Formats: sequence, C-alpha cells, structure tokens
Amino acid sequence: MQITEIFASQLPVGETLRVQRARFTPDEPAENAKRISIVSGIHGDELEGQLVIYLLARWLREHPEALRGTVDIYPAVNALGVDTIIRGFPMYEIDLNRAFPGARNDFLPAQVVHALAEDVEGSDIAIDIHSSNIFLREIPQIRINKEFSEATLPLAKQLNCDFIWIHDAVTVLEATFSHTMNSRGTRTLVVEMGVGMRLTKAYGRQLLRGILNLMQNEGIIETQTPFEVREPFTSEVGEVFYINAPAAGLFVPVLDHCEVIEKGQWIGDIVDPLSGTVREPIHAPNRGILFTLREYPVVYEGSLLARIFGAPDEEN
Amino acid sequence: MKKIEILRLDSLSRAPMVVEGYLFEGNDPKAPSVAVVGAMEGATILPLYSASRLVDFLRSGLDAGKILGDILVIPSVNHYALNINERFWPLDKTDVNMMFPGYEQGETTQRIAHKLFKALERFTYGIVLETRSDLATCLPYVKLFKTGYEDIDSARGLGLRIIHHREPDSIETVSLQYNWQLWGTKACSVVCPHETLIETASARIIMDSLVNFLSRNGIIRYETFNGYDSTVIDRDRIEIIQSPCSGIFIPSKKPGTMVSKNEAIGKIVHALEGEVIHRFRAPCDGMITCSYKHSLIFENAVAYRIARIN
Repeated sequence: MQITEIFASQLPVGETLRVQRARFTPDEPAENAKRISIVSGIHGDELEGQLVIYLLARWLREHPEALRGTVDIYPAVNALGVDTIIRGFPMYEIDLNRAFPGARNDFLPAQVVHALAEDVEGSDIAIDIHSSNIFLREIPQIRINKEFSEATLPLAKQLNCDFIWIHDAVTVLEATFSHTMNSRGTRTLVVEMGVGMRLTKAYGRQLLRGILNLMQNEGIIETQTPFEVREPFTSEVGEVFYINAPAAGLFVPVLDHCEVIEKGQWIGDIVDPLSGTVREPIHAPNRGILFTLREYPVVYEGSLLARIFGAPDEEN
Repeated sequence: MKKIEILRLDSLSRAPMVVEGYLFEGNDPKAPSVAVVGAMEGATILPLYSASRLVDFLRSGLDAGKILGDILVIPSVNHYALNINERFWPLDKTDVNMMFPGYEQGETTQRIAHKLFKALERFTYGIVLETRSDLATCLPYVKLFKTGYEDIDSARGLGLRIIHHREPDSIETVSLQYNWQLWGTKACSVVCPHETLIETASARIIMDSLVNFLSRNGIIRYETFNGYDSTVIDRDRIEIIQSPCSGIFIPSKKPGTMVSKNEAIGKIVHALEGEVIHRFRAPCDGMITCSYKHSLIFENAVAYRIARIN
C-alpha cells in the first residue's frame, strides 16, 4: 500500500493542506488489470464513507493475496472540512461537488477538485460515497444520472444497496464528481446512506460487502468467498413521493426510518414548543417505503421531512 | 410608492421573515419597467445598501412625475442571513441564487426563489446586485451571461467600466440572472465589491450606475452625468495571478487601478517569521479587476485578476 499526496498546498500559518490517496496493488499486476477508485469526504460533514473506506482498507491489508487489480482510496477529499465539521470548502463556502471539473489556475477549491478528477481519471470504476447531510437519514442507495445509466446500472445492482434512484440529467449536476468522471469514461456511482456527522455501522458493513462483490465480479479481487448481496429496488418500478414541511416548527417523527407505511399513516408532527400545540400533523401521501426521514428537527416551510418510494399515484 | 409583500416565512423561534418590495409606479404606460434585487446573501453589505439608497433616491430625491416606467426595488431577500452575518440560508446553508426559477412545492429556498421570481416576471429590465462567490473583491462591474437573450445595449446604460460578457458555468444555470433572461427580461448583474463596512466611493459608483441605467433606458426623466463607455471583455482577456506561496497578503493596488507590466502590486509576508517572501508584479498592462479579500492567503490562491489591454 502506497500513500500519495494528490494535492498539497501551504496554508498561511504553518500547516499544509493535503489530499491523500492510498493505493493497493498486487505484487504482480496482471495485464489489463482493472482499477477502482473509492472517494469520500467531498462534503466535510459526511463521515459514513470514512468508515466504509476504513473497513475496505483493513480488508485489503488482511487479504493481500486476493488483490488482482488496483484499488485507490480517497477518504477525505475536503480534508479541511472533514476535520472541522464544515460541509463546504472552509472559508470559500464552496460545495466541492458543484465545482468539478475545476482547473489548475482557478481558486483553491477548484484546484482541489481538479487534482482529484485528474488523479481518478483512467480508473475503470469510481464510487463516490456520501452520507446525505445532517438533516436527513437515508437507506443505502445509489443515485444514477439517466444519461449514464446504461453503463452504471449493472454495476449499481452489485453494490448491496437497497435502492437505486435513476434521475434525469440536470445541467447544474454537470459540476459534480460523478458527471465529470462518467463523461471521461470512468463508470462512476454515487452512494448516499446514513446521516451527516454520524456513523451507521450496519450500513458501513453492508456497503463494504457490496464493494467487495463488485470488485470480485470485475476481477479486481479474487477469493473463494462469495459475497451475497441483496436485490435493490429501482426507481424505474415506482415513484418517489416528497413530503415537505407545510409549516415551520419542530418535527417529531413517530416512525422509524425504512418502514413500509400505508397511505394516510401518521409519520409525525410539526409542533410548537412555546404553545404546546401541534402545528401540523404529517401523514403519508402514499403507500411505500419510507426511505428518507428527517433527522434534524428544526424545520421551515418547505424543509424536506421524508421521501417515500411506492407504486405510481394511480396504482396507490 | 407602494410597499408590496413578496413573501412571508415563519420560523420556529424567530419572528416571521417578511420580504417586501418598493414599487414606484410610472406615469407613462409605454415606458419600460425595471426590477432591482438586492441582497440574496447575508455576509456582504453593498447589495443591500445600494438597493436601499435607490429606494431613498426614488422616494425623496426625484419628483414622482419623473418616474416614467414601473420600478420595483427589493433591497433584501434574506433578512434571516443578514441579521446573523451568515452568507447563505441560515438553516441548510443553501444559496437562494442557486434555486431559480424556484419550485412552489420544493425546499425552503426553492420556495423563496419561486415567490421572488413570480414577483419579477413582468419587468422589461432586471438588475441583480450581487458579490463574487470566491474570496475576492472587485471593482463594480457588470456580469452578463451569454444566453442568446442577453441585451448588451441596456447593460451599457449602467455606465460601469467593464462588462464581463461570458458563458454561464453549469451551476449558474440556476441563478436569477440566467433564468430571468430565459423568461424574457433583459437581466444583468452588478457585481459589487465585497465589503463589511460601507466604503463610500464604491457605493457612490454603484448608486450612480443604477440612476444612469434608469435614465438612459427611459425609465426616469433625470439629467445625470454620463458614466463610462463600458469596455466589454470576455474570459480570454483576464490574466490570473496566483499566489506562489501562502502567508500574509498585503496588496498595494486596489481593484480598478490601471497597472503597467512589471509594476509592483502587492507582497506576501511569512506569517511566522515576518520576512517578505514574494512580491507580486503585474504580468501585463491592464486594470486590476479583482483581488484576494483576506489577509491570510493560500498557496496557489488567485491573488489578482487583471483585464489585459490588447
């Protein structure tokens, strides 16, 4: 295993900003061996990817004989943000996942993402692990841009996630890591799972199994161990329903995340602590799986409370 | 003048945020109309100050009979951020100016953008007062996106020194200016210097440019001094000067200053040992349009942008 600084920059007062990559390669790489890059920490407040990458690195250290291809890991792209609980690039307040592909002669966040994109380029597969944010808890899911779904959907099904969400191409998302890398020929998947600023150990283990399964199927590792994975449901077979807060207040859920719920079922209340009243009770608009649930309780009108995946409206 | 409510938003503990616009109705139904949008973010002051000064000028400095076309001024869209010196929406840190055209059923800032956009859709001209999104301050200039619908002639009416006419980046396709243009308004942005205290010279330039715009485009009848015959530049005309090292940044030339090739424009001092470790020199003849706005500068950070004299 070799650790490399893919980007380094002197900070003003006695510190170096560095973005690191660890590379695992077999002693004797096979010709045409594939390369996979696992990226996390593009958002500094999302830590679930740190755990997954730790588990993966530990597995690779414990099973060096299994390695056939190259595995690159980038645990903390926004290294300053990860260590300071800041989602964007500190000081600049820039969302790094809206700054790709970046440029060498642009401002510092753009230089960081440029360095990452240049370094990952040439990989056969890339996986970008996100943790939703501090507001929402998500089941392990893959987000796929329809534009690239033909190439990426078969890979997504191997990752042991619960849900694959294929979304329309949106111009603003062209500034993301996944769009940049998919455009450059690296099949890239985005994982969303858990919640910001926290670790969900079960999800970490679940995704690790999926990554190992994918790597085995792609010939990047070779073991006698079969990695059994679950069959995900995809957004193609149903519809995603959004529940946004109809009023400001404190959201108090009554259900657990990931439950199957019925149309009209009580999800929780938006309450007013000052008056001791319920401002708005929240009920499910449709039957389905509650795959997103608000974790941070303060809401304004419009704040996302939950997402349900179910059959399309007319069948529900 | 009429105050109109653009949007109202409740909060868990804070008093409701009520965004109001100041509508000055014109006397000539054939005259063009304009809307001016001030602060959409909360960490800078000139967009707010300039819009509020325009309200005062139209209300107190100009006879109502000289207002020909409708003028709507919305000084602040984001009181909640301004009042606590947050740049973006205080809860989820999203940027209202990345939410257009908005969505009625969407998240909070999408709803804010939707309501604002509905209030802005009927105007002939649109001016967005904003600041740069990077760590830079600048001279006041016009940012005009190439959308196929932009109107460079009306932007010249501001009389600012530079019109930066360029393709929008992908993330700018959700900005107010871009969407306003697509919906038929001749919109542009006045990019204001990043200041936390009002600096009267730049505030005066912006105020004069707004009055110039209204006068030259036939929205008010008011005799004023001409501004600049704006120079239109694109990205190829901009020289980027990066900092080769980090440290304490001491600029000696401000944005708006004409410089000659090799002229000293600033330096970097070692943050712990005090020695001068780099001196910036202009790489070409031109005008400094932007400079880094903090005293502590990163290595490779963009220290200056200079518009080259061709």
